[in-house]
Amino acid sequence: MTAPAISAQNLGHAYGDVIALHHLDLEVPNGRIGLVGANGAGKTTFIKILLGILHPTVGKVGVLGSDPAEDVVAVRNRIGYMPEGSCLPLAQSAADFVSYAAELAGIPAHEARQRASDILTMVGLHEERFRYLGDFSTGMKQRAMLAQAIVHDPEIVFLDEPTAGLDPAGREEMLDLISRLGGFGINVLVSSHVLPDIERTCDWVVMLDGGQVLRSGPLSGLTETNIVELEVIDQVDTVAAELARLGATVETRGNVIILSTDQFDPFIMARDVLAATGAPLRRMGARSTTLEDIFLGEAPTNG
Amino acid sequence: MDDRTGAVFDLGYKPYDGERLGRSGAIRAIVKDGVRRVMGLRRKARKKVYPWGLVVFAVLPATVFIGLAFTLNAFSPEAESPFGGHAEYMGLTGAIVLLFVALAAPELLIPDREEGVLAVYSSRPLTAGDYVLARAGALFAVVASFVLLPNLMMYIGFAALDDRGLGAALLGNLGDLARVLAAMTAYIVGYGAPAMLIATYAKRTGPAAGTYLAVMFGSAAFAEAFQRIDFVGARFGTMLSLLQHPEVVRSWVFDKQQNAAPIAAGFEPWASAVAIAVLGLVTGYLMFRRYRREL
Repeated sequence: MTAPAISAQNLGHAYGDVIALHHLDLEVPNGRIGLVGANGAGKTTFIKILLGILHPTVGKVGVLGSDPAEDVVAVRNRIGYMPEGSCLPLAQSAADFVSYAAELAGIPAHEARQRASDILTMVGLHEERFRYLGDFSTGMKQRAMLAQAIVHDPEIVFLDEPTAGLDPAGREEMLDLISRLGGFGINVLVSSHVLPDIERTCDWVVMLDGGQVLRSGPLSGLTETNIVELEVIDQVDTVAAELARLGATVETRGNVIILSTDQFDPFIMARDVLAATGAPLRRMGARSTTLEDIFLGEAPTNG
Repeated sequence: MDDRTGAVFDLGYKPYDGERLGRSGAIRAIVKDGVRRVMGLRRKARKKVYPWGLVVFAVLPATVFIGLAFTLNAFSPEAESPFGGHAEYMGLTGAIVLLFVALAAPELLIPDREEGVLAVYSSRPLTAGDYVLARAGALFAVVASFVLLPNLMMYIGFAALDDRGLGAALLGNLGDLARVLAAMTAYIVGYGAPAMLIATYAKRTGPAAGTYLAVMFGSAAFAEAFQRIDFVGARFGTMLSLLQHPEVVRSWVFDKQQNAAPIAAGFEPWASAVAIAVLGLVTGYLMFRRYRREL
């Protein structure tokens, strides 16, 4: 059986009197995992525990089946990490640094040089690879940081706020790169407080708030609903009353009717009511909720 | 018209299934990077000036001495070398070690911490102890190289001029080589440990180097003052002389006269050797504690 990418049992961590993580229980399968939460939710603390930098105050954690608190070298043999802040030596060229990052993972020097060149090409820094990192723009630095995180072909890579500080174009490119990592067989844990970034790149989401898990599950299930939204040109009240009579929960906002039902397919129900009333339809479609809706709905500290 | 057309191929990502050298490979990589960094290799030109300038100062006199010794010997084979031997040369290289580690130790440690590079080490098969040992090893390797090189040149050069013949002189003077190694270790640990300790907590390389030199020369001034104060236990204050302990050990192993503050206060030379060892161990422990928080 494949070990989960990340697991935690009753995991807790405190900085003195301040509790950062509180009894986390998780089991996350391989894939692209989003770790979301507001600033101070415990995301970075959780990643530092996964890296073996911090030790749990209580409980256990597992990365690909290994416990970093027990054998940190075994875990670090299999991971990559792109921190939230900079991790680049400004006086070194991109090629030298990424090559060094590969050697640090035990890859022989000549192979490391070749891999650095390949990975820098992949992240779009081939032309700039001999420039000093101190001369890079913010977007180029973020790509170089991603390059060092994957140059040694880790089994899982932790990306902490990978789009922080990027302009819209740079953000798009970074998200595209992250989306491609799954196709390379690299598991990804993306920590972010930008929920649309997680929706775009991940297939599993872990929501943290106040050091506790709000929700952990596949993203598709989270955002799909059985709510249908239809807009009619007139006869709003007639349509809404008929839908309600058939047992649907109905809400109207101007000419828009939002209906949900657990008993029938809401699309079929809407079609039949429209046909029966003869109400003219402008548009109709599934109403999908966003991570933000879920997060705001469930996080007690966020209202 | 040329009808050849170019095509750009996205080679994508290639998984790596080659050899992995593990923890030992990672430690070797840090040592290698450390050597490059303190010597300014693969860095901008200005980073090379200071270390290479000091290396030239360490090696050039030996080259001149040997050249002059050969010239003198050609004219007057019976004459003694006027340039002294390994003991005197170690005194010169000791001063260069002090100036070298003042900037090399901060260069080794501070950029990694201040530029966030420790985060990269924390995702590689390494521990905080590995990092500290590898960085210290890099400093030791570089300093040992430029201390040993001129001494080896002198060892072989003077043996070539020896009446006993090269082979016999090399064997007969092996004791000199052992003394050079002992004095070299005292200089590297005695001067390198405080430099590494200050660099472990400092935020910028320039101020760290300045602080280090102030501490080293200040400690010698304090020790001299303690030597002159007349109260019970004042002599122990002379053991604070970080600058003089390696000098004491050098004079001791080469059996030379010395007047450093700890000796003048009545301490045996081995006490300086013990002080250097304790300094090295305490530094190692404090560095490990500091880096364990981030690695």
